[in-house]
Amino acid sequence: MLNGWPSRDPHNFRQFRPSDPSNPSKMAATTYCPTHSRTLPPPDQVISTETINILLRKMYQSEEKPNAKRGAPESIVPEPGCKQPRPTSDSDSATDTACM
Amino acid sequence: MSVWNYVVTAHKPTNVTHSCVGNLTSPHELNLIIAKCTRIEIHLLTPQGLQPMLDVPIYGRISTLELFRPHGEAQDFLFIATERYKFCVLQWDAETSELVTRAMGDVSDRIGRPTDNGQIGIIDPDCRLIGLHLYDGLFKVIPFDNKGQLKEAFNIRLEELQVLDIKFLYGCSKPTIVVLYQDNRDARHVKTYEVVLKDKDFAEGPWSQNNVDNGADLLIPVPPPLCGVLIIGEETIVYCSANAFKAIPIRPSITKAYGRVDADGSRYLLGDHAGLLHLLVITHEKEKVTGLKIELLGETSIASTISYLDNAFVFIGSSYGDSQLIKLNLQPDSKGSYVEVLERYVNLGPIVDFCVVDLERQGQGQVVTCSGAYKDGSLRIVRNGIGINEQASVELQGIKGMWSLRSSVDDPYDTFLVVSFISETRILAMNLEDELEETEIEGFCSQVQTLFCHDAVHNQLVQVTSSSVRLVSALTRELRNEWFAPSGYAINVATANATQVLLATGGGNLVYLEIGDGVLKEVKHAQLEYEISCLDINPIGDNPLYSHLAAVGMWTDISIRIFSLPDLNLVTKQNLGGEIIPRSVLLCAFEGIYYLLCALGDGHLLNFLLNMSTDRPTVIYSSNKKLLYSNVNLKEVSHMCQFNSAAFPDSLAIAKEGELTIGTIDDIQKLHIRSIPLGEQARRICHQEQSRTFAVCCLKYSQSNAEETEMHYIRLLDDQTFEFMSTYPLDTFEYGCSILSCSFSDDSNVYYCVGTAYVLADENEPTKGRILVFLVEDGKLQLIAEKETKGAVYSLNAFNGKLLAAINQKIQLYKWMLRDETSRELQSECGHHGHILALYVQTRGDFIVVGDLMKSISLLIYKHEEGAIEERARDYNANWMSAVEILDDDTYLGAENNFNLFTVRKNSEGATDEERGRLEAVGEYHLGEFVNRFRHGSLVMRLPDSDVGQIPTIIFGTVNGVIGVIASLPHDQYVFLEKLQSNLRKVIKGVGGLSHDQWRSFNNEKKMVDARNFLDGDLIESFLDLTRGKMDEISRTMGVTVEELCKRVEELTRLH
Repeated sequence: MLNGWPSRDPHNFRQFRPSDPSNPSKMAATTYCPTHSRTLPPPDQVISTETINILLRKMYQSEEKPNAKRGAPESIVPEPGCKQPRPTSDSDSATDTACM
Repeated sequence: MSVWNYVVTAHKPTNVTHSCVGNLTSPHELNLIIAKCTRIEIHLLTPQGLQPMLDVPIYGRISTLELFRPHGEAQDFLFIATERYKFCVLQWDAETSELVTRAMGDVSDRIGRPTDNGQIGIIDPDCRLIGLHLYDGLFKVIPFDNKGQLKEAFNIRLEELQVLDIKFLYGCSKPTIVVLYQDNRDARHVKTYEVVLKDKDFAEGPWSQNNVDNGADLLIPVPPPLCGVLIIGEETIVYCSANAFKAIPIRPSITKAYGRVDADGSRYLLGDHAGLLHLLVITHEKEKVTGLKIELLGETSIASTISYLDNAFVFIGSSYGDSQLIKLNLQPDSKGSYVEVLERYVNLGPIVDFCVVDLERQGQGQVVTCSGAYKDGSLRIVRNGIGINEQASVELQGIKGMWSLRSSVDDPYDTFLVVSFISETRILAMNLEDELEETEIEGFCSQVQTLFCHDAVHNQLVQVTSSSVRLVSALTRELRNEWFAPSGYAINVATANATQVLLATGGGNLVYLEIGDGVLKEVKHAQLEYEISCLDINPIGDNPLYSHLAAVGMWTDISIRIFSLPDLNLVTKQNLGGEIIPRSVLLCAFEGIYYLLCALGDGHLLNFLLNMSTDRPTVIYSSNKKLLYSNVNLKEVSHMCQFNSAAFPDSLAIAKEGELTIGTIDDIQKLHIRSIPLGEQARRICHQEQSRTFAVCCLKYSQSNAEETEMHYIRLLDDQTFEFMSTYPLDTFEYGCSILSCSFSDDSNVYYCVGTAYVLADENEPTKGRILVFLVEDGKLQLIAEKETKGAVYSLNAFNGKLLAAINQKIQLYKWMLRDETSRELQSECGHHGHILALYVQTRGDFIVVGDLMKSISLLIYKHEEGAIEERARDYNANWMSAVEILDDDTYLGAENNFNLFTVRKNSEGATDEERGRLEAVGEYHLGEFVNRFRHGSLVMRLPDSDVGQIPTIIFGTVNGVIGVIASLPHDQYVFLEKLQSNLRKVIKGVGGLSHDQWRSFNNEKKMVDARNFLDGDLIESFLDLTRGKMDEISRTMGVTVEELCKRVEELTRLH
């Protein structure tokens, strides 16, 4: 169980000289005092939470989903110059327009 | 007025809350990252050990610290989330040694109930998203895009309301979380969910496990190839995955921290509430888990975080004791432990109470804290001073004097160290191996005590003994000339420089000699009316070899006199007054200003302008043309001299009790901390000057069979040795809540008063307590009186020769009355109802300031004639208090449980009763620390003539181990510094893009307002760390020179 403690760099701690454990370590790091501009985040990486309510989001999603299925074949852009059928006045198309 | 306050950290937080290991600073460098609540430390793993790189202040209390490796990156990024719902992603730029903010954001929601069990922040092991659980019933997702950029966050509803832990599972094709939760019948279960990013919703996960250990509190995700999760309970540990379930029983314990050992996740270190370190092993055959094993390794500090570093070295971060660097040995030691503690990192937290005492009577406070918890409880003595770092020491008894000598005039280093004893003189010298060994200077007389030694011109050495002055060649070490004291007269004191000798013999004879090449020439003799106690001719003019002045200290008339040289004419005489003779005089120059320093036999040190006291070694230095004094971390030094040798450059030789030490001197003052481990938690502390003792309320946990019990004690400690002198055990279930040293009217004794509470499981609030009155007699606590109370005695104050107690919702005043001829008792005089719980009480004259559990601060007054306590005013805000203090007659300081500070002011001039009855909030500030205690006092020597000497200060202690200072500034200084602070905000940027304004804004559940009438001293003092260019920038906008700005900020740094 205790065998073979993993090693990523065998040099680490090789020359370690333990200090008197009754004397706490006094090593102190320098304090970081940033004045450079990269301390500010890139403008597109200032993150916030979407404001939409979870319930509303679900409702919109459930509305989108069936339409997305139906809308899929229609979303294929027709080749330019091809004849296009006139929009008919049946109920299906009307819903699609409303959604857009 | 004490409305304008300056808050500064004297001792940074030391409570280690998080740690992690990874390649932050370079793909090839391994780093340990430590979070200490509001700071991050970056360390580098090296062959020599842990090397600190950077201490990074964060404008927030860190709730999550994680390293992660986005796709395509060669090194790790650091994710930090704060308790006030900010987060940032940092990347280290090795070229510029800068932390670059890759992203930051606000993840707060307008509505939502903050989680009770702490905030959870986790990163998907495949870097598809960051998950946050901040509000009950919500799981927030910050998705990564395929370039590793963060996208807008969204919430997913989480059905489980009482979440204990959430982790990401490894090895799942879709990001999958595992949730440990409690249902409304207090049963605990584990469930998994897939996060469907496209739908912004959860889908059912691959498995779930109902009814796990009732104490399960921690999940450990297991990396590939095994995958799955470990569920750590109080009595069992379970491995769980879609296709395996393995469990083992464990000895009942609460696991506080874990650290993964192997990359394949087969072994984990577990640290429990008692500080025991276990190794948990997942046994497996290829990728099939076959079982679990657990082994006790040994004991550490109670861990809050564990990080396996490398090559069997492990970092133990602790909130309750010192953090540690340990090594896991393959073989157990004699006590059966595999753990070897190699290094200790001081942690003062949690500071539950402290007192400020001047044990050395130097006009400088030392803070004695009740630090740590459970078995890691301790007292810490925190003291400001300059450190002497011991380089070498030898045992030598009875040193009467010491001087360093050079072997030639040109030698840059000292060679000899002359050590004088009562009846001999020994000479030590550095040999070729840089060791100090005994040698001889033949021309010196070594059978007698040496009074003085010095190098002289022409490569000569001078030795003065009681009978003669000897001039010796430094090259041949032979005697060249000798001047004898007149027969019948012994030389009492002597001094010399490179060309002059001044000595005094009995009968007030002052003799002046000059040193030539092989010649000692008596130039002048003067007869003074009294005996001479000390002399000095240290050259302070233009000529470093020759002094035109001599300083002489006198017995009998207790004066110091200045004589001209060579003619020994009296220039001036200064009567010192008093009865204490001058022991040592020194002419010296600091920054071109000449001083005469004079030390008296009672430890006072005088100079022509200053008058202060010291009976321990003190470093005197000058800054901005002012003399400053600093303590030294040594005690009872009898003699000291410079010793600048090649092996020990710029060192001092110091004679202490039976020891000769060589050490170097720190160039700055800092806090020195002495630790007194108690093995139990100290909760209240009080010092008693008269008995030179501390009394401490302690709490000891003990494990008997399966039952865990706690017992409370009052312990008496010697204030010098900190040894236990006496112990008074409290009753079963009785807690020590407050402690006070005080005296009463018509009684000359000084007592310790202790307030207690009987804490019973079936009571919401204690209904019974006691006030115990102790006298220290023969080093023992003698119980003199006791008084039963109807609740917990949260606070005790000395008040007009009486005792003021805060008991549950009541303030109660007790008189100390004669019961019969010989004995006394506490008698209730009057009281005041109307608090929720009166927890913290401070008094000033007849005024009583009460800090309530949830009703902020109120001001009461004691009316002598009526013998009644009435409310005068209150703050109507609903602050939950953690400490109060009185700044001045009208202004009171409070700390509350959302880590804020505030001040309120009494409005005596108000036109209406309503206005007069209201304490107006005048200052507000987010400290970011939980303050447990305020005390008036100072950590530095306060000299009456210095600028900072006039500024009243309060010291505070916090849960994170911070010791801070609040200084009440004059208004003009405050205005100036406020302007400096606002300019610094523009130049010094918050790490991770976090805003300083927002960080310091007062913030609780009810409101958030900008900080006012408090200044952030930590930000202001970081002015001194700026580059010259940035200083110039601020200087221009301020219209004040850089020199003036530096001087003004440096003076502030001397407040702590």
